[in-house]
Amino acid sequence: MNATASVSSGARPLRSVASLPGVAWALIALLLTFATAAPNFLTMGNVNNIAAQSVVLLMLALPTTLVIMTEGIDMSLGAVLSLAGVVLAMVLVASGSPLLALGAAVGVGLAFGLANGALVSVLGLPPFIVTLASMGVAQGLALVITDGDSIIIGEQLSVLVNGSLAGLTMSIWLALAFYGIFHVLMHRTRLGFYASAIGGNPEALRFAGVNIRLYHIGIYALSGASAGFAALILTARMSAGHPSAALGAEFDAIAAVIVGGTSFEHGKGRLFGTLVGVVAVGVLRNGLNLMNVSSAIQVSCIGLLVIVSLLLDNLKGTR
Amino acid sequence: MQKNNIGDKAAGSTPQPLLQLRGIGKSFPGVHALKDVSLDVYPGEVHMLLGENGAGKSTLMKVLCGAYRADKGDILSSGKAIDVSSISAVRALGVAVIFQEFSLVPHLSVAQNIFLGREPKGSIPGTVDVRGMRRAALEALRALQLDIDPDAPVHALSLAQQQMVEIAKATSQQTRVLVMDEPTAALSERESARLFELIKQLKAAGVAIIYISHRMTEVFELGDRITVLRDGNRVASVLRGEATPDMLVQMMVGRTVDMTYPRHFADKPGDVLLRVEGLTASNGIRDIDLMVRAGEIVGLAGLAGSGRTEVARAIFGADRVLSGTVRLHGRLVSGGPEQARSAGVALIPESRKTQGVALLRSVSENLNLASLGRTFANGIYRPGVAREVAQQLIARLRIATPSPEQMVKLLSGGNQQKIVIGKWLQADAKLFIFDEPTRGVDVGAKSEIFALLDQLVAAGKGVLMISSELPEIIHVCDRAYVMRERKIAGHLERSELNEQNVMRLAIGATAMEEATI
Repeated sequence: MNATASVSSGARPLRSVASLPGVAWALIALLLTFATAAPNFLTMGNVNNIAAQSVVLLMLALPTTLVIMTEGIDMSLGAVLSLAGVVLAMVLVASGSPLLALGAAVGVGLAFGLANGALVSVLGLPPFIVTLASMGVAQGLALVITDGDSIIIGEQLSVLVNGSLAGLTMSIWLALAFYGIFHVLMHRTRLGFYASAIGGNPEALRFAGVNIRLYHIGIYALSGASAGFAALILTARMSAGHPSAALGAEFDAIAAVIVGGTSFEHGKGRLFGTLVGVVAVGVLRNGLNLMNVSSAIQVSCIGLLVIVSLLLDNLKGTR
Repeated sequence: MQKNNIGDKAAGSTPQPLLQLRGIGKSFPGVHALKDVSLDVYPGEVHMLLGENGAGKSTLMKVLCGAYRADKGDILSSGKAIDVSSISAVRALGVAVIFQEFSLVPHLSVAQNIFLGREPKGSIPGTVDVRGMRRAALEALRALQLDIDPDAPVHALSLAQQQMVEIAKATSQQTRVLVMDEPTAALSERESARLFELIKQLKAAGVAIIYISHRMTEVFELGDRITVLRDGNRVASVLRGEATPDMLVQMMVGRTVDMTYPRHFADKPGDVLLRVEGLTASNGIRDIDLMVRAGEIVGLAGLAGSGRTEVARAIFGADRVLSGTVRLHGRLVSGGPEQARSAGVALIPESRKTQGVALLRSVSENLNLASLGRTFANGIYRPGVAREVAQQLIARLRIATPSPEQMVKLLSGGNQQKIVIGKWLQADAKLFIFDEPTRGVDVGAKSEIFALLDQLVAAGKGVLMISSELPEIIHVCDRAYVMRERKIAGHLERSELNEQNVMRLAIGATAMEEATI
């Protein structure tokens, strides 16, 4: 069995690094470009800034990795994040309890996730349509309950953004914790295994006697709940809940996941790739900000980043 | 007496059947897939299941593994009726099934796949004991003397290795009955030999194996007991020593079909229309030589998966040709479907609804679809002209439609098939390749379709017809090629065309007889 030898040599712990996605090269190119072209890019303050901006994106992109592995998609993430943000701000203002506020935000996200998951898994509706519809519902609700205004919370949560521990800002700690949790979910729990199986061969799961719906719904619920949790960071950073604060955030999340090497086919997922993708998107946005490029152009640039990364992968023949 | 025969293998007293199927019946809308099938499975025995396309083998397996629910009949284990209503219930009985489409998840590791759905629990609640799982997977692989890395993602393995992982998956749990559906279909000879060794090991360990096969050599190399199915019935179960290839072929053929075949055979065929030489293509077919003359219906027979559709696709240029030539009227055809079409080749694919007609468009639009450039040379579509063309074809082919504007979806299968044929007639095709032309149409429409084929060849066209229905090949074709394992296994002239001869070639019985003589 000659093939065995070649397989085993490539399949060791460094697998995720060995199969560096095209986006890693794109990231290196971006870093070099901004380091020379954008003033203040390479300062400690700016690195913390990128991290702070990327935490929210990471919290959306990590669960999106699992959703995409199931050959699904969650278009509602940005709107659910906005809605959870204003709910969080309202509860915080009314009760003064950050924990209660966080609970409410996660609850809102969870409810949307469960509804998405049930519609997709039990009724078999297409994920794109289902989550596009719930995106509309969430966005509308966010505008209705706030009358379109921001809800100012002041500096109550600013420790989450500005505080630091052992030399790293809270944002970075939160990002690491989130990544750690998802690493365990992906590689040490059934949820992660089955996300790959739902996309790669659902029939196999069925023949293994697994309750597929339970896990399928669970993955969408996780996505919604993560958006609810991300609302905490977003609201803290803005010192307010705004009904359209996260407009289009799902675009960044999906882009980060795709450039990271996760595929809409065969249940292929790359959590580490998603991390790299998030950093690339974060660096791109930050660098363009420093160069005073408008946010509309930034979206176009992220689109180009996706295409360039896919082209690089194509050249390497990994897709 | 039979029991004694097996007793010495099964170590111990009189062997009881591990599993008994009694009078299993299963119907689907329009199809009576299984009528009355009984089967005994003994420990340490390989039970071969033979039958031509549509005999009911796969349905039987799906009933056995709980994927389908039988309409009638019982399954007994140690003499007691058992519950096979769900996959997990069957699993608990120790029955594992390996289907042709593997039940592996491509981007999970070998270990994750082996333990899919029964992952060992880790020390932290909710987690999986990944190390323990890896260790257990390694043990399962070693027990089968397999050198496969448990951490390798399954998609990186060869087909043969994937097949072995499937078996490890089955043997790592308490499997008493292992069901395999054509396990060697995708394997090379060496890989098959490895699989057979494995099967012999399992046999020695007392596992009962049900093995569906299309290859006569395997049946005699591995089988202890052979059951032949036909038309959803069990024809016979025999021990290997009692069987000959010829006898098994006799039992497989002879499906009852009540219909007449309107065919007028011409006295002498016309000029050579299509000549294929040494055709090898990226889809796996090798060294195909065949020829179709004007005025002939030539059959392309063989069992499912033998490469018939692939030959059609390669001739049409839909799959990449690696070597060999396709000539129409002596002129080379190469470069893809566009060129094949303009040379006069029409491919009428098997899945009519997805590849043959545009279901939501009108009869008229469909009939004009392949000849737009010819009918409307200036590039402007004129509905009136299209309608005229359509009306002529509707009359000529007797398509039953209220009007040319009727949506094709609303017509019967037979009429849809006529529309596909009409479309190519209008495109002035000379060679028609039909892939299962009568699939999904009722008996009356079948007869009409064959009348149409007869008309086509009477008008000097040539037809190459792929069919899984032996009677169609026998009664409709002037000559037939029979495929086996992606090659032409043989050619039969009209005088030699009968079900036994076709089946012998398809299943490889002739090769074996020659080898043994």
